Amino acid sequence: MKDFISKKGIYIAVAAVVVAIAAAISVAVSGGSSGFASLLSEPFFKPVKSAMTSLVNSLEHVYDYMYRFDELKAENDRLKAQVAELEQDYREYTEISEENERLRALLGFAERHENIVMEPASVLSWTASNFSSSFTVSKGSSSGVELGDPVITENGYLVGQVTSVTSTSSTVTTILDTTFRVGALIYESGDTAVASGDFELFKEGRVKLSYIGEGSGIVTGSTVVTSGSGGRFPAGLMIGKISGILVNSSGLDPYAVVEPSANVRECAHIYIITDFAVSE
Amino acid sequence: MGKQKYATAVKLLILCPYLILLYILQATVFTRLTLFGVKPMLLPVAVVGIAIFRGRVEGGVFGLFAGMFMDMSYNQPTIEFTLILTLTGILLGALSDTVLVRGFPSYLLCSAAQLLLCSACQILVITVTTSIPVSALLPIAIRQTLYSLILSLPFYYISRFLAHII
Repeated sequence: MKDFISKKGIYIAVAAVVVAIAAAISVAVSGGSSGFASLLSEPFFKPVKSAMTSLVNSLEHVYDYMYRFDELKAENDRLKAQVAELEQDYREYTEISEENERLRALLGFAERHENIVMEPASVLSWTASNFSSSFTVSKGSSSGVELGDPVITENGYLVGQVTSVTSTSSTVTTILDTTFRVGALIYESGDTAVASGDFELFKEGRVKLSYIGEGSGIVTGSTVVTSGSGGRFPAGLMIGKISGILVNSSGLDPYAVVEPSANVRECAHIYIITDFAVSE
Repeated sequence: MGKQKYATAVKLLILCPYLILLYILQATVFTRLTLFGVKPMLLPVAVVGIAIFRGRVEGGVFGLFAGMFMDMSYNQPTIEFTLILTLTGILLGALSDTVLVRGFPSYLLCSAAQLLLCSACQILVITVTTSIPVSALLPIAIRQTLYSLILSLPFYYISRFLAHII
């Protein structure tokens, strides 16, 4: 070893000095970047570096998965909760929007009929019978509802009449039911008639207008409102429009078919008229 | 005595929720699920099932409450279904205790008879109280009987299952 150093040492030292000088010149020429060094090392280190980089990336993914999993899961849960909250807000917004529309319509009706006192109610259930048309609502005698009170929509369209009352709920018989009857007035001609439920028209969701005189000016499209006679219903509540004029099987009595303005079978919110001024 | 009380409690615990569920279905879900333009009658069919598989006592008691619920679901102050379902519950129960074979053909036949009886009573009440002719009411009565009869098929298995566990 001693011989090796003494004989070859000088050559090794010279070679090292040459390489060092060459490296220094290369660094100086390339303006500080390792030009010569990288030129020498690149072919060897490039694949190694590339392999190391991909290894480090993989390890980073594993690290992320292991250490950020909880964080991501928490974030996911937070976002899910946020989505649910937004969905709830949207549902509430839709409900409020619908209620707003109803109340606006009601306000218009209330402004036109200042003497009418109303109680809002929701439809709880419909009758299971195929031979009648009635539903149960959420307000009863404790809210001032009485037997015979008229029931309308927010627009003032006639829906029916209260036929049974408990302290917390009431049964409303609709204008389609065969037992329902109300004094009617043809708005355009001023003729009076009786609007009632009819079993044949019940299936089609329409109402019969009977006791109309032959000389009356009733035409298809005429508006039918309550006449207010009898004092059970306030005058001027919209019943519907005449969709046809027919004659009964005997051929003697003409009657009209009325298309109700209220979508009776789809009612969800109604207003019970608990008090009104009678104008005879 | 203790065993009897326990058995009664079990029956009540099973039959009361069953009855309430049927009432809710009839008064809410099936008022919207119409077929041929009519709504079905679930409670009379359920009474047939209980009466056939459990006899006249359970049949009568179940019929009484089912009838009350039926009248409630029809929004009517009358007690026609309370009477009909109680009596048919007792009668069918007595028949199944003595001569009726507790099987599907008997159940289907009794269900059809029960539904026709209920429809006939409805028609009778309407024709007495209003001027609607029977001919106008019959098509609806037939359709509601058919629709209810279709729904009576699952009730056979439900009733048989309930009868076995109580």
